[in-house]
Amino acid sequence: MSWRKIPMKFPGKCIICNKKIEINEIGLWAKGLGVKHEKCAQIDQLQCIVCGAPAGCPQCKFIEICDIPNVSQFCICTKCSDEKDAFSFYQKSTNKKFPIINS
Amino acid sequence: MWSEKYRPRIISDMVGNEESRASIMEWFIKWKKGTKPILLVGPPGIGKTTIAYLVAKQFGYDMIGLNASDVRSKSRINEILTPALANVSVMGTPMIFIDEVDGIHGRSDFGGVSALIGILKEPTVPIVLAANSDTSDKMKSIKKAVKTIYFKKIPPRLLQVYLENILKKENAKLSPGSLIKVIDKSQGDIRSMINLTQSFVTGFNPQIETKFENINIEDGVNAFFKANSIEEARIILYSMQIDPREKINAFYSSIITSSIDNSTLAKYLEIISNADMLFGKIMKTQNWRLLRYLNDILIKLYQNDDRIRYSQYNISWPLLNRIRWDGAKIKSLSSIMAKKLHLSSSAFVTICLPFVLFCIKNKTLELELEETYADIIEKEIGLIQ
Repeated sequence: MSWRKIPMKFPGKCIICNKKIEINEIGLWAKGLGVKHEKCAQIDQLQCIVCGAPAGCPQCKFIEICDIPNVSQFCICTKCSDEKDAFSFYQKSTNKKFPIINS
Repeated sequence: MWSEKYRPRIISDMVGNEESRASIMEWFIKWKKGTKPILLVGPPGIGKTTIAYLVAKQFGYDMIGLNASDVRSKSRINEILTPALANVSVMGTPMIFIDEVDGIHGRSDFGGVSALIGILKEPTVPIVLAANSDTSDKMKSIKKAVKTIYFKKIPPRLLQVYLENILKKENAKLSPGSLIKVIDKSQGDIRSMINLTQSFVTGFNPQIETKFENINIEDGVNAFFKANSIEEARIILYSMQIDPREKINAFYSSIITSSIDNSTLAKYLEIISNADMLFGKIMKTQNWRLLRYLNDILIKLYQNDDRIRYSQYNISWPLLNRIRWDGAKIKSLSSIMAKKLHLSSSAFVTICLPFVLFCIKNKTLELELEETYADIIEKEIGLIQ
């Protein structure tokens, strides 16, 4: 499968982030798969939902079993996951970042 | 079970897919009559069904839960959904949830998809659909009428945090190696991860060999008859995620072509007959809930019998060979003879061929044919009584 860099002739929806790709914006297109943003294609590590920093995927012990482009894009970094009540931190941060979830 | 005990009570109890959860909440908050239904697409065990039940509870809807077997035929859809859609005030505030909507495919669709699309286009109540995949043609037509929200697998490290939280509450511990093993084997499926963890913690080490996770029909049938125990055979049977009709046919063709004694063959065929009758009943009544009993019938076929190997063809090799090669020769012979006798080929084979063979046998007829036909004529003469 080859991804082609194209200027968008019609508006499309990114298969990674599900957000709109506007006309004339550069997108990556593959036959039968769809389009994605250039920046979405470059995801090489997830974001820590607690501290907002990169999750440190290259050093993660799960790197071999984690399919980074195809997992939910928020994770938790080693530092935050080592906290005593990490899951509670995760929940608080999620509710802060997406207040609608807790509405 | 821990998976039930720790089932999220509110949406913020869930883990992963934060953006998708937020999109669902937003959709429910903004929902009004005519709003496009939503389709939740994602791998199994990541919380699609759970979130549908949680939002229904949170927004005070009375959930009407259906699955693919309920929406296979138009009449069944109308029977279930028409009262809910027509009498909204009497039914309270209904919300429709159709799980595994991608389960309707090919011949199993008896007008259900088109009827469903009709309902999806004019929704009077919130409708939520869930599917594991949205790539089939049927799903493409459904997708046009809905807003799709994707659910992805959960990053393993986040699963670890979630699992450690459960272990802490249970005052239990798992070695780092087992923890990684559990997360790896569950492949992002939270439900199976929790079940597996409970199994490990309670001292039971379940068989989670990858070779049995999802096996093809040939390997499945061969491994089934080679299995060392009925438990192993059962795992293999459940791992054969194929069309039930194909599953029955595979066992039938493999058994019928094996060199087993008549009494064993009769026993096996009786079991396959029962499986076939069950499947026939499912197709006739469209009661797909009965499908869960199919494997319980087929497991009776288990016997560590290495004489049985997978075969695609449901007739024996000598007979298959005869049909393939002798059939072609007879067809060629009949087309020549049919021209001479001013008949159709099939009329010649059905009516005249036995008489012609008798005449050749009794030497009252001599045909001027190519030598290549001598073998087949001799063979056919040998077969006539």
